[in-house]
Amino acid sequence: MQMTTRTLTRRSPGFGLGLRPVHYPDFLSAPQRVDWLEIISENFMVPGGKPIDRLDAIRSRYPVAMHGVSLSIGATDGLDVHYLAELKALADRVQPLWISDHLCWTGVQGRNTHDLLPLPYTEEALRLVTRHIGQVQDVLKRRLVLENVSTYLSYRSSEMSEWAFLREVCERADCLLLLDVNNIHVSSVNHGFDATQFMYGLPRDRVQQIHLAGHSDYADYLIDTHDHPIAAPVWDLYRVACDLFGPVATMIERDDHIPPLEELLVELDQARTLAAAVFRGAARAA
Amino acid sequence: MSATAGALREVQLALHEHLLGRASEIPGELRNQLLDDRRFPIEHRLQIYHDAYRSRLLEALQDSFEKSWAYLGDAAFAAAAAGFIDDHPPRHRNLRWYGDQFTGWLRAQYPTDLEVSELALLDWRLRGAFDGVDAVPITAAAMSCLSATNWTTAGCRFVRTLDIAPVRFNSVAIWHALERGETPPATEPLLEPSWVLIWRKGWQPHFRTLGADEQCALSDLQAGASFAAVCESMGARFSDQQSATMVATWLRTWLDDELIEELTGLCPE
Repeated sequence: MQMTTRTLTRRSPGFGLGLRPVHYPDFLSAPQRVDWLEIISENFMVPGGKPIDRLDAIRSRYPVAMHGVSLSIGATDGLDVHYLAELKALADRVQPLWISDHLCWTGVQGRNTHDLLPLPYTEEALRLVTRHIGQVQDVLKRRLVLENVSTYLSYRSSEMSEWAFLREVCERADCLLLLDVNNIHVSSVNHGFDATQFMYGLPRDRVQQIHLAGHSDYADYLIDTHDHPIAAPVWDLYRVACDLFGPVATMIERDDHIPPLEELLVELDQARTLAAAVFRGAARAA
Repeated sequence: MSATAGALREVQLALHEHLLGRASEIPGELRNQLLDDRRFPIEHRLQIYHDAYRSRLLEALQDSFEKSWAYLGDAAFAAAAAGFIDDHPPRHRNLRWYGDQFTGWLRAQYPTDLEVSELALLDWRLRGAFDGVDAVPITAAAMSCLSATNWTTAGCRFVRTLDIAPVRFNSVAIWHALERGETPPATEPLLEPSWVLIWRKGWQPHFRTLGADEQCALSDLQAGASFAAVCESMGARFSDQQSATMVATWLRTWLDDELIEELTGLCPE
C-alpha cells in the first residue's frame, strides 16, 4: 500500500449510502449500519415542507455530505449565482461533511439539459473550470469536491487524458476529488483506455470520497444507469483504489430499481470487507 | 454571468443545439469536433445523451403531473410531454421546477378537453403546496384578541401555501376517482364557475372546492381587506347578521384547516 499524508482531505467518516426517499422510514425508525449519508442537494433546494423536515430529522442522526448535479462548473455561460446562493443556504442549514458536484457542463445559453456533459480536456477548459471553482470555493468557504463523470463521447480537441485533466484541475484550483469508480470503468470501456492507469494518474492526497454503483452492459458499450448491483470489474477497481488512496469515505449510489435498504447494506458490507482486507494486507506488507 | 468566446464555447453550443433539437442528422460542425474511435458510432454516442435528456425530463413531468399522467395514459402523456420538451428546454437549474409552463401548454394542445389542463393545474399547485414555504398557523385561542373595537381594522395573513385555482369542469371529481384508482367520471362543465382552495396542513397538501362567496372573502382578505370590510362587501347580497355569521363560520373552518398564520390590523386596546 502506498501511504499518503492526508492534509487536504477530511478524515474518512467510513461507509455510506445515497439517501433516497423510499428509505426515509428505515433511517428514521431505527439506527442503520451506515456511517454517513449523501443527499442530492437539489432535492432539498425547495422552500420548505416535508422534504426539509425529513432532512433535518435525518441530519440529526447521521453526518451528511451534499452532492449536486446542476453546478455546471464547466459551462461557458458562467456560474449561476442564484443557484450558488441557494446551495450556500442549504449548506448553512445542513453543515455537511463536504459539498460535491461533477466536473462537467449541463447547458449553455440559459438552458439546462440536466445531463452531465463531458468537457474537452484542453488548456482553455482548464482555465475556465479553475476560475469557476475559485468562485464557488469563495462563496462556499470550503474546498469543492468534484466527481469524474461517465462519458460516451470524446473530443478531437482534447490535449490530455481525463486523469491528467482531473489532476491539473485539482492542483490549479486547490479542490478535491470524488472518485466514481464505476464511472471510470464505464468510460474506460466506452473509450478503450486502461482504468488502472487512470487511477494511478490521480493526485493521491486529494481523493475525498469514492462512489460505487452499478451500470448497464449493452455489449458494445456501458451506460452508467445506477440501477444494478456493483459489477465485478468495479469491485476490482475499488480494490486498486483502496490500495492507492487508503481509507477514503465510500458510498453506494442507487437511483433506479432501488432495492430494500437491507440489500444495499449487504452490498455496503462487501465494500467494508474488501477495504478491510486491502488495509490488512498493506499492514502485513509494511 | 460572463460568456466566454473560443473553441470551448463553439463545441458547447454545437453539442447543446444538437441534443435539444429534433434533427437526427449530425451537423458537420459538430461531427468535426467529436472523436470517432470506431468502437461504436458517433451517432450512437450522441443518441445516448439525446435519449437521457428526454427521458429525464419525461420522468420529471410524470413525477409532478401524476394525475394528469394517469388520466391521459402512458402513450398520450408521453406524446404530450415529448412535444412540450421540444418546445420548452429547461431554464431552471433545479429539475423540480421543470413543468411550470406545462399546464398552459396542455391547455393549448387540448382546447376541447380542458379538464386535462385543469388536472395539470391541480397537480402543479398541489406540488407547490407540498414543498412550499413553512408556516406556523395560529389556533382558535389567538382569536381572543379580536374585539368589537378592533373588528373594523382586523384582518389576517394566510399561510403562503394557500392558493386559489379556477375550475370550469368536474376536474375535482376526476382527480378523486383517479386517486382511488377508479375509472374517472365523464367530463362535465360545472353549472357555474368554481374555485379550488389548495394549501398544506401539517406536511400534507389539501384541496377543496370553494363557493363564490368564500372565494371572494379569501381573495379580499389576501389583498389586505379587514374582516369588517369583507362583511360590508357582502352587504348587497346578505343582511349584516348573515354576513357576520358567514365570516365567523369561515374563520372557524380556516383555523381548523391551519390556513391563518397571523391576525393583522389589531389596534392596541
